[in-house]
This record gives sequence, C-alpha cells and structure tokens, in this order.
Amino acid sequence: MKLGSRTRRFSRRGFLARGAAAVAAVTASGGRVVAEAQHVAAAPGGLQSEEVHTLVKFTRDLFPHDRLDDSFYQRAVKPLEEEAAKDGATRQLLMLGVSRLNEWAHQAVGKTYAEVEQEEKRVALIQRIETDPSAPGDFFHKVYSTTIVSLYNQPEIWPKFGYEGPSSAKGGYLDRGFNDLNWL
Amino acid sequence: MPAKFDLNDSSVVVIIGSGAGGGTLANELAQKGISSVVLEAGKRLEITDFQNDEDAMFGLFTWLDPRTASGSWYVAQTSPDLPAWICKLVGGTTVHWGACALRFQEHEFKTQTRYGSLTGANLLDWPLDLKEIEPYYDRAELKMGVTGTHGIPRLPVSNHGKVLFAGAKKVGYTQFMTTNMAINSVPRDGRASCQQAGFCIQGCTFAAKWSTLYTEIPRAEATGKTEVRPESQVLHIEHDNSGKVTGAVYADRTGAIHRQKARVIAVAGNAIETPRLLLNSSSSMFPGGLANSSGQLGKNYMRHMTSTVFAIFDKPVHMYRGTAQSGIVMDEARFDTRRGFVGGYQMELLPQGLPSFSQNIVPNAWGRDRASIIDNYVNIAGVWLIGEDLARDTNRVTLHPSRKDQYGLPIPNVHSDDHPNDLAMQRHALGQADALYQSIGAKRTVHRLPFPSTHNMGTARMSQNPRDGVVNRWGQAHDIKNLFVSDGSQFTSSGGENPTLTIVALAIRQADYIADQMSHAAL
Repeated sequence: MKLGSRTRRFSRRGFLARGAAAVAAVTASGGRVVAEAQHVAAAPGGLQSEEVHTLVKFTRDLFPHDRLDDSFYQRAVKPLEEEAAKDGATRQLLMLGVSRLNEWAHQAVGKTYAEVEQEEKRVALIQRIETDPSAPGDFFHKVYSTTIVSLYNQPEIWPKFGYEGPSSAKGGYLDRGFNDLNWL
Repeated sequence: MPAKFDLNDSSVVVIIGSGAGGGTLANELAQKGISSVVLEAGKRLEITDFQNDEDAMFGLFTWLDPRTASGSWYVAQTSPDLPAWICKLVGGTTVHWGACALRFQEHEFKTQTRYGSLTGANLLDWPLDLKEIEPYYDRAELKMGVTGTHGIPRLPVSNHGKVLFAGAKKVGYTQFMTTNMAINSVPRDGRASCQQAGFCIQGCTFAAKWSTLYTEIPRAEATGKTEVRPESQVLHIEHDNSGKVTGAVYADRTGAIHRQKARVIAVAGNAIETPRLLLNSSSSMFPGGLANSSGQLGKNYMRHMTSTVFAIFDKPVHMYRGTAQSGIVMDEARFDTRRGFVGGYQMELLPQGLPSFSQNIVPNAWGRDRASIIDNYVNIAGVWLIGEDLARDTNRVTLHPSRKDQYGLPIPNVHSDDHPNDLAMQRHALGQADALYQSIGAKRTVHRLPFPSTHNMGTARMSQNPRDGVVNRWGQAHDIKNLFVSDGSQFTSSGGENPTLTIVALAIRQADYIADQMSHAAL
C-alpha cells in the first residue's frame, strides 16, 4: 500500500500550502486542466493505442526494471486506460500529458517521446513534465501514483524480485526457510 | 452470550473504542461483573477475513476518515492526509500491531525530574512510577503471553534477525535478542504458536499474536456482561447540569443517531480521535471541550522519534520471512546524555513485503536509482529506530477550522514539529544503524524517514496537578469524575518503547480502580 498522499502532491511544485489548502488546490488545478484540455480533441471511448504505448514507455522510465518485460508495464497502465474510458476528465488529462510530452520531445530531438532512444533524454522530459509550471497540472502525479501501485501489486512480478507472497496457506515459513541464512 | 443493553440503561460503563485500551478494559470489567457497552467505529472482521496481502488489508482495516497533518515533521510532507496508520475495526490497532511488548524504564516516568527543563518542551513526571505499574505489567504480560517473561520461551531467530544480531555483535552491542513479543512461541491460552508466516502487520491468520479482537472481546462477551456495537461512531459525549457525563451520542452504519446512557464513560479512541471527541463535545459548561480546564487537551501529541534503515547486502536475506518484528537491539535505550540527547531508542526489525517496500521506500522518487534499490529486494535487511520524543504543547491535535467529516463534525489536524532533541536522536540512530549493517558488509544503506505514526500518545495526559494535564493517575478526568481516558492519550511521556504493553497495563489498573470506586458508590 502506498502510504503517501492519496490526493495529490505539492512539495516539489510548492505552489500551494499543504493540508488545509488541499481541497482548494485540487479544485483550482483541476479547473485549469479542463480549460487547457478543451484545446485537445477528445477521442470518444478511451485512449488511442499510441497514447497507451507512450504511457507504457513513460511508466517503464519511472520504474525501470530491466528484468521485467513490457507486459508488466502494460498491465500497470490498465487502470489508467479503464479510468480514461469511463471518465472524460481523466482521458483529457492523459491525452494532454502525452501530447505535451511529444511536443517537447519533438522540440528537443524531432521525435515522439516513445521514439526517443536515449533514456537520459526521456528522463529529462519526465523531469520537465513533473516540475514545469506549464505542464498539465495533475498528469505526472496521476500516472505516478496509479502505476506505482498497479505495477508492484502484480503477484506475477513478485518472484522476479525474490518475494514469495502469501505464506499462511503454505503453513508460513516455519519449515520453509525462515532461518536458513548461512552466509554470515 | 453477548449482552444486549437498552439505550436508556444508565447503569452501564460505555467504552469508546475496542483496541488495546478499550478491549482490555471491557474484559477486565466483565470479569468483575461490571456491565459495559463498547461502541466501536469500525466493522467486526473475523480471522478468516485476514489476507496475506498488504494492499488489501491496508484498505480493509485502516482508519481512512479524513485527517490532515501540519508542522515540520516529515509525515506532513509525505503523507499530509494520512498522519497516522491506525486501524478502524473491532480490536482496533491490536489487529495490526507488530506485538513488541516492552516495559517502560524507570526514568521514563520522570522526564521532568531526570531530563530537566528543556527549551521548547513541556515535560512532566507521570503521577505514578515504574514500581507502581510493575504488578500490572506482570498481569498484562501473562494475559498477552509475552515471550521472554514469566517463563514463556522466546521466539526463534529469523534470517532477518540473524543479520541484525551479527551486526550488533560486530559493533559491540550486547543487548540483542528476539524481542519480548505478544506472539505465542508455544501454543498457549487456546491459541496456536507462531508459524513464521511474516504477515503480522496484516492480521495474524493463526491468531498466534495477541489482539483484543479474538481474546479480550469474546471473553468479555462470554460473561454476558458486555455488548460490542460495531460501526458505531461516537459523535459527542453529553453531560448533566452537575457536570457529570450521562451518555454518548453515536451514528450507526445507516447514519441513524442513537444516545446510549451511561454511568461511566471511558474513551479509548487513540490519541487522535480521543481528544477530537472531547473537543467536539464542548458545551456552555465546558467551552474548551470536555475535561479541558487545564487547556492541555489535544496538546503534547507524541508519536516517537522514528526512522528506518534498509541495508543492501550481496546475498539473500528474505526479510519478509518470519515473525515480522521479532528482533531487537536495546543498547541505545539507556538514558545517557553524552550522546547529545535525552531519552533513548530501540532498534527493532522492520521487514516489508515487496508491494509496500517498493511503494514507500523513497517517497515521490522515480528512475534508475530508486529502481536499483528494489532490484535488490531479496538482499535487503531493515531496522526500525524508535525512540522517545518529547512532549511539546505546540504539538497538538486540533479541530480543523473548515473541513468536516461525513457527520458534519470538524476533522482532526495533527500538528508536529520535531524538537531539536528528536533530530539529534534521529541522527545518532541512523548513524548507529548504518555502522551496524556496514560492519557486516552492507553495500549500501537507505534511510527512510518516518512513516505515518502508529504510536500516538499524550493528548490527554496524566498529571498530579489538574493544572498540568487532563486525567489523574487512574486515567480519570480531573474535571469530570465519571469520565476516563483509557488509551495512549494518557501517557505523560512517550518512553522509548512501543506503547501497547503500557496501555494494556494501565487498562487493567484502571478497571481495578473503577470497580473499587463503584463498590464504594463513588462513581
């Protein structure tokens, strides 16, 4: 479970005080996002496959584990896709964020974000969309706070990090190695 | 058979909360034949509802009603809407606790006398001392089956413990062992022994860990003297013209409002909800909140100096296997100002499963560096540093000026600024833990500053003089003799130890006092 803020995060942008201002902040920045998003043509029924592809790449760059193939990042992005299909504001926010990433990528190297080959250049674009005041308000936080949960909560990835998951049904670790360490 | 009391039955003790304080008090009173109604805000789960799943259990039992945090403490930056990780269900946070059951030390009851006057602190001696509470610690340990006490064998050492102890030995520490745990090392009291499953924090599926949910509460109900009403959120406490409390007004699961009359009311809602309820119960007779003539209600909020050090080795540790927190180094718990601070700290194992570890290890971070820590998950050991923090009257729970909960009542804000002493202790503790792990070959250590607080104390503190605190040596309000506080809010200092054993000991002692006062018609 993520113990951090479940609403949004302010610390790096620092444009509003925390706590008491939280409700006002969400309202204010949400309004700005919707206003900006009106300039982007909203596709009916959810995100386009290129947008999903960009989000998958973006999520891998946030949480780059070379041992994980793309299928895990595709699954991590699913909750965003599902929310975008149901909720117009989320769809517009994600479309706007992807479009801004691509715009900046084009300015920098003449390619879309997902086509940029050098990881450090994509990292620079992420840093910009995380901190630039002209970035679509909640885009970074929305993707980050959703996928950090939906990536690491996939039981299929646990063995790849050596985590064995639920143990009670197997009788715990009493006879399965709770004290088998012998390298000290 | 669980009892069933009428709302107008004014002979009952009403207990608000069913965790370590409230659940224990209900059973202790029931065993003496005293009737009580336990009003619990959360649902009633059964052991079969527990899952070995960090995310699912977090969602199932955490107190997620709106709260805010402010102040210089790290939690206000990283979790401004979740200052505390405590639970909302029958059994309260005893379902979730790690079960480290440590006694406070003698000097920790006398902080004003022993630590002297420190700028920016509001220290006070407890109106009782270690000698007086010792018999109740004995009773609490026997009730809970604490390992390492009264001949109860200690738990075996896990991989995670082996790493901690090897480092401790290497740096010259001598006081390390599997912790005094309220977890059965052998079958005891009708409950199984620990199977080293590793999901203590998510609710023990074997019931090897003591929790009021399946010990005190069913035993209280079996006497026919106790009625537990889950999903009953108390909104305020009422009083009569003489200033005695008369009943509790609460909302049930449908939102319908009820009024349970009472002879005595004991509040045990944790150190955030307890002062919030008393503050929300203000009246023309008690304009600053119930039992607040001292002005100390909600103040002196303490949550322990905490931090965690995770160390990366080049060989497997499997920290998630085994009893989660059973391993401790106690050498730094002493009172020794040569280290640059008053009070002391414990070093306790703190494993995390992959989901919670990866989501919380470096708040708000992303990229290769963060990922490289998680890539080493299987080779990581973790130690939680938990020490005394100081009472400050500016660290406090207040009613939010504008935000309201689902019942229209002000939500609590938890304000905390680190005292320089807390920061000095934190620096020392992080350095010692680094040295401990580096001494046995750690490749890297990662510092995780405080998680949301699970130890919450001090907001209705005990005092000898009614001017200095909210309750007396029995947890009885100075201002209102039939109103009691029965949780960690009573604590005059935080000690350097996990608070639950002391909460249970105080609840046992308080039950004796309430029974005695009732028998003399003083309540």
